[in-house]
Amino acid sequence: MSKRNFEEIRGIPDPVAQGIVDGWDVIDAGDYQQPTTIEADVAIIGTGAGGGTTAEILTKAGLKVLLIEEGPLKSSNDFKMDERQAYKDLYQENAGRMNKDGSMSILQGRCVGGTTVINWTSSFRTPEQTLQYWGDEFKTKGVSKDDMAPWFEKMEKRLNVSPWAFPANENNAVLSRGAEALNVDWKVIPRNVAGCWNLGYCGTGCPTNAKQSMLVTTIPSALNDGAQLIYNARAERLIMDGKQVTGIEITALDKHHQPTGVKVTVKAKTVVLAAGGINGAALMLRSDAPDPNNRVGKRTFFHPVAFSFAEFEKEINPFYGAPQSIYSDHYQWQSVDGPVGYKLEVPPLHPGLTSVLLMGHGEKHFEDMQKLPNMHSMIALLRDGFNEESQGGNIELAGDGSPIIDYPFNDYLWDGIKRSHYTMAEMEFAAGAKAVKVAHVDSKWETSWKDAKAAIDNLPYIASRAFVGSAHVMGGMAMGEDLSQCVVDSNSKYHYLDNLYVIDGSVFPTSIGANPQLSIYGMACKQATRLAEKLTGKKLA
Amino acid sequence: MSNTPQHSSNKTERLSEQFAQAVPTSRRGFLKFGLMGSAALTVAGTTATLTGCSSQPDPSSGFKILRPQDREFLAALIPAVVGSAYPGELAEKAKERTVRQLDGLIYTLNEFNQKQMVQLFDALSIAPIRFAMGGPWVRWQEASVDQVNDFLVSWRDSSLQLKRMGYVSLAKLVGICWYAQPENYASIGYPGPPTKIPVEPVKKAPVISTPESLSGEADV
Repeated sequence: MSKRNFEEIRGIPDPVAQGIVDGWDVIDAGDYQQPTTIEADVAIIGTGAGGGTTAEILTKAGLKVLLIEEGPLKSSNDFKMDERQAYKDLYQENAGRMNKDGSMSILQGRCVGGTTVINWTSSFRTPEQTLQYWGDEFKTKGVSKDDMAPWFEKMEKRLNVSPWAFPANENNAVLSRGAEALNVDWKVIPRNVAGCWNLGYCGTGCPTNAKQSMLVTTIPSALNDGAQLIYNARAERLIMDGKQVTGIEITALDKHHQPTGVKVTVKAKTVVLAAGGINGAALMLRSDAPDPNNRVGKRTFFHPVAFSFAEFEKEINPFYGAPQSIYSDHYQWQSVDGPVGYKLEVPPLHPGLTSVLLMGHGEKHFEDMQKLPNMHSMIALLRDGFNEESQGGNIELAGDGSPIIDYPFNDYLWDGIKRSHYTMAEMEFAAGAKAVKVAHVDSKWETSWKDAKAAIDNLPYIASRAFVGSAHVMGGMAMGEDLSQCVVDSNSKYHYLDNLYVIDGSVFPTSIGANPQLSIYGMACKQATRLAEKLTGKKLA
Repeated sequence: MSNTPQHSSNKTERLSEQFAQAVPTSRRGFLKFGLMGSAALTVAGTTATLTGCSSQPDPSSGFKILRPQDREFLAALIPAVVGSAYPGELAEKAKERTVRQLDGLIYTLNEFNQKQMVQLFDALSIAPIRFAMGGPWVRWQEASVDQVNDFLVSWRDSSLQLKRMGYVSLAKLVGICWYAQPENYASIGYPGPPTKIPVEPVKKAPVISTPESLSGEADV
């Protein structure tokens, strides 16, 4: 049996626990016994990549900022690398979020720091082709490759983004080795880490604070400068007078994420919506926000992900080491708006998640699980939203106002899933796999590329048969000047309200075509800087 | 909720009879079964909800969402889903511990997904519907592992998206709740994570006023 890569992690101070002891203005909404009103210059709903970045910039500009977070406040002392605890504390719906017909599982953060606390640290600039497509199709302004470069540079510096300098773990090395053998180009992934231990537990909250998530960078900086944070606080409804947002109704939540019944009201001159795709759109729909062309929640994208597993003679230990360090864009841009392109990466494999990805039950499933130490997995992230046949999902509301994600799969997307299955299986064999099985209920372990190819030829590509996941939620409140499609202008102001700005991944008019965190950071840095200038009347660097 | 439960109930019974007769003997029969299965699952769930089957769990049980019949069902699924990994290191606690994990997980799902799950449990707790839907006639706790497996396979391979979705959801939930328990790591060769030893924050020593500092501050 494999050995643990580290026996213990000790001596890591918790900057958040320390900040609270040192007097940060941090409130657990669940503690309120009486209805309360909180005031601020700017209220930011959501504390992920968009909200965190915005909070630091606005606070530094001298504004009184209030951060509002639906999830709990957890930090490195709480991060035990235990899937059960992490999914419960840090993920939307206990990592059980899925689309309406159950055909796609969605991993999304729900905690102070948002998805940046649980992502796998891959940091890519928005591809030039994507920015160009937005300009052409959605009339975005000022977001060309050259316009964006200084903002990406700024955030890369802020979050210590650089290509992973250590050797890739074996799970990732399969991708580079297979690509090399097939003469397919591959590269090293830039990561936002400082002093990374190469542990492999980015997805359960970084226990060493090496990951430069919002939780340990921009949010502490904003709190040190006097910002206020309220957590376990779900923004339920925006109160509006037709032209402006005049307040935010907050539902206080207890430790089990259930309403305590105490209402909190936030009054702010300016509101920044940074709740991310799905939840941001749901808040707008619950609030009946002005939306004359009925665009809120439309075109929500997910980078639907296909998986392929490979068994090797030697140990892979896919649960240890930096989870993502190698990628290939070889199949990504063969056509910008033709058949769906995809990015190749690998996921870390921990027991709970792996059991889901392997799909199935009984003795066969247990036999698959027992291969874990010698198992590799590859993923293909489909770049949705660049073709007529890929209009994305639509956010609807359940009876209690919570979001329902209607993202149906059609032949266009299934074609991408199937093509990527071929690609990944071939690459895994090229890297020396002794057996390969794509993530599909009907897929069996095949021992040659020829057999795997023949097997994939005959797989039915229908819902709940092929496994599809997602870890990237984008769109739903498109940015651009074409009002028939967009609800937010290129500076992030909501077209139909004077003091509402949307600064997060929901403004992307298509998917990104790369892990989206740096796209959000860069865009947020630009838009929040412009907003700070507008609100203070001062020119910022 | 002042709907017409009586009507729904009759409809369910009628549909259930039809299903029983339409047990797949041919492709045609299978399709017929498939098409009506969808309606039944929805109707059965709704009926059970409207007629009061859908109660809350007894608070003293410590369960947040799962009622006794749901726990019985999920407990029966565990050995069928995890195969000979059951009962493993958890031994006699295997079912109880895993069902508690499932309770916590299902409780945190959003309303839409949670409702669907509860409706599924409701439908599968009524013998004729359970039987017509490919489950055993006997109660879940009396069903053999083979019977539970047959049920899972029939849902997995159904032409009905609703059943396939049910299969994937159930297998997924039981699997994640099983394998994420540290007692089950060794059975799949996972050595486990390092042990995290927290560092408690340091309370800064309070500033002690000295006579000098006091006299210095007096003028300010």
